[in-house]
Amino acid sequence: MLDWKKVVREKVGSLPLKGGRHEDVIDELAQQLESSYEEAVANGASESEAKRRSLAQFSDWEKLRSEVFRSVEGTPLPIWEQNGIFSPRRLPVWIALAVALAFLALPSFRKALQILPFPGRKDAWDTTAFSAEALQGVERTGDKQKYARTLAYVALHNPDDHQAVLAAEKAIALDPQLTWICAQVSHATYLEPGHNPKPWIDRLKAWDPDNAYVYLLEADANVYTEWETRWAKYNAATGELRRALAAESHWRIPMERTFSAPHVDTYVERHFLLDRDVLMERGLDRPDMLGLAVSSAQLPNFFALGTYADHLRLDVGEGEERTGHGENALAAYRSVASFGQKLQGGSSTPIEHIFAAKFQEDAYKKMIPLLRREGRDLETCVVESALAAVGTENPDKHGLFKARLQSPAFRSGQMVFIWGLILVVFTITAALWLICVALLRAKPDLSRPMNWLASYLGCAPALLSLSCLALLSSFFPYSRSIAEYSLGGQLYETYGSFFAGVSSLRLDPILDVWIDHMFWPLIWCAVILIFGAICLRYARWRRHTDPSGAE
Amino acid sequence: MGKTLDRELKKGSAELLILALLEEKARHGYEIGKLIDERSEGVVRFHVASLYPLLYRLERRGWVKGDWEPAGGRRRRFYRLTASGRKTLASQRARWREFSGAMNRIVEVRRA
Repeated sequence: MLDWKKVVREKVGSLPLKGGRHEDVIDELAQQLESSYEEAVANGASESEAKRRSLAQFSDWEKLRSEVFRSVEGTPLPIWEQNGIFSPRRLPVWIALAVALAFLALPSFRKALQILPFPGRKDAWDTTAFSAEALQGVERTGDKQKYARTLAYVALHNPDDHQAVLAAEKAIALDPQLTWICAQVSHATYLEPGHNPKPWIDRLKAWDPDNAYVYLLEADANVYTEWETRWAKYNAATGELRRALAAESHWRIPMERTFSAPHVDTYVERHFLLDRDVLMERGLDRPDMLGLAVSSAQLPNFFALGTYADHLRLDVGEGEERTGHGENALAAYRSVASFGQKLQGGSSTPIEHIFAAKFQEDAYKKMIPLLRREGRDLETCVVESALAAVGTENPDKHGLFKARLQSPAFRSGQMVFIWGLILVVFTITAALWLICVALLRAKPDLSRPMNWLASYLGCAPALLSLSCLALLSSFFPYSRSIAEYSLGGQLYETYGSFFAGVSSLRLDPILDVWIDHMFWPLIWCAVILIFGAICLRYARWRRHTDPSGAE
Repeated sequence: MGKTLDRELKKGSAELLILALLEEKARHGYEIGKLIDERSEGVVRFHVASLYPLLYRLERRGWVKGDWEPAGGRRRRFYRLTASGRKTLASQRARWREFSGAMNRIVEVRRA
């Protein structure tokens, strides 16, 4: 004779029902099985067949167990009593959570998390990595070059201009090869009351006297204080400002030297290499930080360059042409074209290339008709071919920027952002589940809503580990060390579109609008929703407990 | 919409079936399952795994009351309707009649 109670007890396991209902349920289910068994035997089935048929009535015992508990108690089975696949009693859930945490041990995964544009992300300036204590630590290593490089990084990126200037002084004293940072520091001092950029420029002139960029900085520094008081009244569109500036020797003479200097070096590549090396030394192998650091490099004043180039072409060149001095006019145009060539040769950023191409193009277009008029056919041909070559040098002439935005890297960046967002949601969900599970472990009947929440969030650890894998997979092709790059352009080629994609889906604008306009309406809606839910719940409770049985 | 109606109908009709069977007299779970099968001539099959949770839910709502009583030489848990359950049955039955009448009027209209 089968002990059906024993069978049911084994199948159901523990069922923490209140008021002794557990035994009632076991008895009742056992009787159901026994009656079915007896009926099957009476109908001629063998004992084993009758037993099989009887047990087949309850194919999913775990489901029955949880439904019985929910029906009797009106709430899900306590989380630590559940045996489902997502129950905390089951090892796979904890394995999923451990796998999710193990992803943090992978450098590529950490890098993927760091590049996501979420609050708290570090930009090029990391206060911890470049704090006074950190700098002292570098100094204590005794590596002078390394200390000088780190100080130079501080000079280039510290948002506090006073600190930047002090660091620059120290860095240059330790390593005079870092004098080029004066270019950046001279600009930083523009906004710092009491600071004068000229000593920095003089120092740079002494160190790199053949560089056009140094004289451009000088021209800029000579007039910058007067922009509001003196130059703002002139109209730039009509050439008024150009003529006024050209009449000012403090500006014109350094600009003449800018255009006649043997080479142009805006120090962008030095800046890139310094940033790359220092970030690597500080353990920040981050392409996003390097990209931001490089983008903060001081660009030449293209407005000043354009104004002086226009002065040479339109005022000097055309003036000489009108007075019949063709050779003088050609000299003025050549000066502009030659500066364009030098800028092209010494530059590495797309914007510098664009201006370099424009200067050459504008100058050649003036030279060709003049040379033709003078019957200098051979020179005309040379200039014409130079003009044709310039067209191919303009990086945006063929819509490359637009093409980059449509590139696979851009889409990859968007995918990384989306997976990052999903990962954040599942991290919060898994953390909530973990808190509920831990509290309910300590006190099983702590809170019904908490048990309900933990029951429904049981899949969070598994989803978290899957989203970790998805984020890692989507970022993996871009998980490269910054040590692999020796030029800013290379970094831009790899990551430009990718980071544009990552940033293209930022939620800040939406959140800003919500916070500004929808915060209080949202709170009111939530209050009304909660109040409504409580009323409905109360009405339902009244309906089910009303002794009159009113429907 | 269709799915919701279907679910509500299933849920409501399962409750109605049990309440209706308990209207005549107190019955135990095994008997309820057999009766549904027999009276519907096998058309309505009630999964036993759903029957007991449903009985416990009706009991929690106060529509039925279960008591252990001797029957056929063993103890059985018999369920009987409470006053509240009787009113609920009346209400659900009226709704069912209204619904099935409406359905019939639509489905049988060609024959008329």
